[in-house]
Amino acid sequence: MMTWVLAHLITLILFSPLVVGLVLWFIPVRQVKAIRWVTLAGTLIPFFLALAAWARFDSASPAFQFIEQVPWYISLNASYHVGVDGISLTMVLLTTLLMPLAILTSFNITEKTRTYMQLFLLLETAMLGVFVALDLLLFFVFWEVGLVPMYFLIAAWGGKNRNYASLKFILFTMGGSLGLLLATQMMGMLTGSFDLSVVTEKWLALEGGTLFGLPLKTITFWAFVIAFAVKVPVWPFHTWLPDAHTEAPTAGSMILAGVLLKLGAYGFIRLVLPLFPAESQAFAPWLAALSVAAIVMGALGAWGQSDFKRLVAYSSINHMGFVVLAVAAAGAAAGTPDAHIAMNGAVLQMVAHGLSSAGMFFLVGAIYERTHTRDLNELGGLYAQLPVYGSVLTFIAMASLGLPGLAGFMAEFQIVRGTWPVFMGATAIALVGLFFTGAYILKALKLTLHGPLPERWKKLTDLNVRELVVVSPLMALSLWIGLWPAGIMSLFNLTVAALF
Amino acid sequence: MIPLSWYLLVAAALFCIGLFGVLARKNVIGILMGIELMLNAVNINLLAFWSYLYSEQVNGLVFAAIVFAAAAAETAVGLGLVLSAYRRRGTVIADELDTMKG
Amino acid sequence: MLTLLWLVPIPPLISFTLISLFTRRSRRLSHWVALAAAGLSWLGSMLLFAWAIGQQNLANDPLTTAINFLPTGDTWLQIGVLLDPLSALTLFFVAWTILMIFIYSIGYHNFGQPAGAHDLPGLPPHGVEVAGAHSREPSVEPLYSRFFAFISLFAFAMFALVVTDNLLVLYAAWEIMGLCSYLLIGFWYARPSARDAAVKAFLTTRVGDMFMLLGMVILYTITGTLNYREILANPGVLGSLATNISPVLGLSWAALIGLLIFAGTVGKSAQFPLHTWLPDAMEGPTPVSAMIHAATMVSAGVFLSARFFPLITAGWEQGHLLTTPMLVMAIIGAFTALFAALIALGQRDIKRVLAYSTISQLGYMVAALGIGAYTAAVFHLFTHAFFKALLFLGSGSVIHGMEHGKLATGDTADQQDMFSMGGLRGKMPLTFYTFLAGALSLAGFPLLTAGFWSKDEILSSAFNGNYLIIFITLALSAFITAFYSARQLTLTFLGQPRTPSAKHAHESRHVMTLPLAVLAFFAIVAGWFGVPEDFPVLGGVLPNFIGEFLGGAHAAETGHFNPIPLLVSIVASLGGLYLGWLVHRHQSAAAVDPLKRGLGVFFTAFEHKFWVDEFYRLALIRPATWLAEVAVPWIDLNILDGSLHAIGRFGSWLGSTFRRVLDIPVANGVPDGAASLTKWSGGKLRLTQTGRVQQYLVSSLMLVVLAGLIVMLVLNG
Repeated sequence: MMTWVLAHLITLILFSPLVVGLVLWFIPVRQVKAIRWVTLAGTLIPFFLALAAWARFDSASPAFQFIEQVPWYISLNASYHVGVDGISLTMVLLTTLLMPLAILTSFNITEKTRTYMQLFLLLETAMLGVFVALDLLLFFVFWEVGLVPMYFLIAAWGGKNRNYASLKFILFTMGGSLGLLLATQMMGMLTGSFDLSVVTEKWLALEGGTLFGLPLKTITFWAFVIAFAVKVPVWPFHTWLPDAHTEAPTAGSMILAGVLLKLGAYGFIRLVLPLFPAESQAFAPWLAALSVAAIVMGALGAWGQSDFKRLVAYSSINHMGFVVLAVAAAGAAAGTPDAHIAMNGAVLQMVAHGLSSAGMFFLVGAIYERTHTRDLNELGGLYAQLPVYGSVLTFIAMASLGLPGLAGFMAEFQIVRGTWPVFMGATAIALVGLFFTGAYILKALKLTLHGPLPERWKKLTDLNVRELVVVSPLMALSLWIGLWPAGIMSLFNLTVAALF
Repeated sequence: MIPLSWYLLVAAALFCIGLFGVLARKNVIGILMGIELMLNAVNINLLAFWSYLYSEQVNGLVFAAIVFAAAAAETAVGLGLVLSAYRRRGTVIADELDTMKG
Repeated sequence: MLTLLWLVPIPPLISFTLISLFTRRSRRLSHWVALAAAGLSWLGSMLLFAWAIGQQNLANDPLTTAINFLPTGDTWLQIGVLLDPLSALTLFFVAWTILMIFIYSIGYHNFGQPAGAHDLPGLPPHGVEVAGAHSREPSVEPLYSRFFAFISLFAFAMFALVVTDNLLVLYAAWEIMGLCSYLLIGFWYARPSARDAAVKAFLTTRVGDMFMLLGMVILYTITGTLNYREILANPGVLGSLATNISPVLGLSWAALIGLLIFAGTVGKSAQFPLHTWLPDAMEGPTPVSAMIHAATMVSAGVFLSARFFPLITAGWEQGHLLTTPMLVMAIIGAFTALFAALIALGQRDIKRVLAYSTISQLGYMVAALGIGAYTAAVFHLFTHAFFKALLFLGSGSVIHGMEHGKLATGDTADQQDMFSMGGLRGKMPLTFYTFLAGALSLAGFPLLTAGFWSKDEILSSAFNGNYLIIFITLALSAFITAFYSARQLTLTFLGQPRTPSAKHAHESRHVMTLPLAVLAFFAIVAGWFGVPEDFPVLGGVLPNFIGEFLGGAHAAETGHFNPIPLLVSIVASLGGLYLGWLVHRHQSAAAVDPLKRGLGVFFTAFEHKFWVDEFYRLALIRPATWLAEVAVPWIDLNILDGSLHAIGRFGSWLGSTFRRVLDIPVANGVPDGAASLTKWSGGKLRLTQTGRVQQYLVSSLMLVVLAGLIVMLVLNG
């Protein structure tokens, strides 16, 4: 029994949410409590399995572990090939951690609860699938499948502008993925297989070739880049994010910011850098410039907001810009210790931002539930009425700001350290963006918590036990990673080294 | 002997008269009479040819007999139809029996 | 000893955790936990200091150890602790001032008083009705425990900053102190002015911090380490940094990194142009001003620059041209010293005078470092911490006394305005005498006070090094410093009370005056251990402990004794004190500020802080706000989303055009056309179906004839 579980650990992690989602069909729609608790249990299963995977993971080996391969489309040489290395396992852990918290947050959904939970479970499977797939076709399938539940979650349970936001989200992301699909197909045809290791080997050996007069590899490179750039998002492909994040229900925003954005970054790390080393190096300055634009424009955009949730949405653009900056540096200086440090920082930033942005969105949702407004000019003085909420918000906000001692700082420090020798100017401008990060975080805190308490907020209740249970792991992990980054970094340090 | 052609001419003339009657008469019974004339003209034709050319064979005679029978039957049926039509529509003018108009 | 060094920062951290999570509800328990923690750290610091001064050559052979922290590929970035003369001396004054301030805070926040009925969390307490009488008494601070939690966290950060051996942990502690400063300035968060001051402090120092982070990253990249000993005690590393040129403005790497790190000091130690946050930081409770904005956090900036003195002076020798960072530091330091001193002249609020005084004195230290007078700078850092903390705590005591009076009489005067005070010498004698010690030390009262010795040493170094402009600027600032010190003393304590609040003020509790006494002791005595040996008469009576202790790692700086800077120092100090007393001694309640009459438009400039804040608002904040609120959203919504919407509209247009041009006419039209053709032809053909038998017969006859003709003529012809 144990050996079977261990041999199929990844598949179990991957499909257990889906199975639980199917099981939910047997629970009558009216049994809302049962639905919630079953879903919560259902999301805890992959979490514990992921922890087991971590315990049995060999950090000293950069190779993929827990591999499973079953033929799928034999004529295309596409198989169900899954496995994890340090980076994907970190992402799997992040996803399986955030999902139970998101479900717990969703305990206040009262309409169409069963459908809501099933969509979330499907979403979890899709996201995990992207992280564990080792076959290009499988990767693409899971990539696209993840869009559908998110669309429905926003469109059916979202805010006022949800129709526009959900449609924009799905069309924009799908549009970006068009190139990915075509490039994947082309690569599959040219190399004769969709399996990642085979493709990598053969594709790197492939020389020449043109498409519409342009070098083949350049076109495929940009196709991949654009697909991932829309997802991360990189400026100027970011405009779907503020709308989608703002209109999504709280748990939806938590997962969107906490995990879905990381899919794009993961795509860069897993596919773009290894498959296109020459093009990554050649076009790295472009990518660096765009990521710096994301950092600065994201920070400025956040600072100028008066909608709390939209401010946090723009903060995601700001933070993910650092990840892409590191990727650009790694592409430009592949193999050097600088690239290694930058990539370490990038993966750590993915984790840190996942924790802090999930926390921020959760807290925004908590205050919206109580005050029914997200307008920063309406809120104010809440620290006096909600001291626990205020302290928690300050903590999470400081994590988002990159305060040393919390996760964000070590990530940003490593990214800046790794990028500086490669792109001096970009690093300097990125620090300007980091300054404005402080500005918008403090603006959010000032307008929410400080100042005189308006009369109408004098009856609000502080965070309850459920909400504290959601946010405490995020705070604890942020603190742990900030004080002892080596703990989580030991998981992916060697994998990152072996990327180049 | 009387030349065959005379008989044929008579038959043709009768046929034409009958045809004229069928095509030009208003009254349905008149049309039926015209049809009779045409049938009889055909008979004359048949018998004339039989008599002058194939008198030793019985085909022509039989053919003529069948024509007679058919004519008779057809007249009976036709008149029956006319009666029925008259009862239905109160008229025996051919042009007024146009319910099959498209 | 090493273990002790690691442990020194820990008690306040534990105190913070305990108070935040567990003892929030009990005020007594909270302050005892905090006090115990501060006491433990104090004990550890004293033990370490005692051990350190017994060591020979601690500068070159410090106590240090490190552990692996951050994996960077095959290597590790290490962090650890270091005890050398600089950190030992700093530990001494940090531990003392923190302990004193913790004790003082108990009294400041009115522990033991009842809670006010109308006191709201986030606002300063405004008194509680006394049963029976028609007056009020001070009430206890509603957020009492929270205060002790935050100052504990701050203490942890400060201790950690002092004991660490690498720049990464220093930066981390630096930022955490910045956080605590933000939280404590905004302690009374419901006040809009406090709330805004907190943000201003955080963001202004963040500007410096960003530069510092860049410097740190560059240093790490080039040297592969952030450990002080590996960089700063390594002549090879320093030499290569000093000789290799960076791509920025032709500066050497050492100069570039030095400037960037100095930028952090500019922010944290409130030097021009990043000084604007410190005066506003006076919104926080007075212990906060004393601890953070006088004794410790702002000292951390100077501490950093002192720590990196070898890097800043890399490639410099006594008597030669200053390196670029040194030149910049000297100029900014001297300018700030004078600039802030002038502004202090124009202030009425007792705390604001001290705030600008702090900025000015920090300028002294920065300038001293800039001209290579390491020992003088650190000496002044040491003495300044004591007398400035004393002055702030004293002003807090004065404000408390005024509040007593205000609550008792129902007066509406501003309890922090010096022009509302007067004659407090009689009402609050202990406060007066300790404040006197502090003010005289600040003014550099000759021979007796600590401030004199440290300030004199800076002036001598400037004079002896032939940095005459620096010397003159600093001497002028010394004069003005003495003048405003006397102004403050005279207006506050001497003369007659000018308002009812002053008349009914009374002395503060022992828990507040005891720390004042302790600090006054240090404010006088601390300087006696830094008397240069060749000083006439007094030199050699007490060993120049500080000079020897600190100077071990650096070449002899002050050289031989010169009477001129000493004379200038004495004249500036005594002259300023006398003039200040003279001008203000007859200040009456209704009269206008005598300086306003005397200095006219200059006074207006001083009063308005040379309009720097207004300039920043116009030149920096407004454009940035415009960018964030107007330009970026416009780009996002109109250009980027606009393109998206345009694509969307184009797509819709394309779709409807296809429908209009292809779908409806062709794909629909053709079958529809076929159908209507059929219908039309049917309609036409039906005319042949007249229902009249005879016509059918006619037409069939004609067709037969036609067919026959065709057969005969065409087919057979």
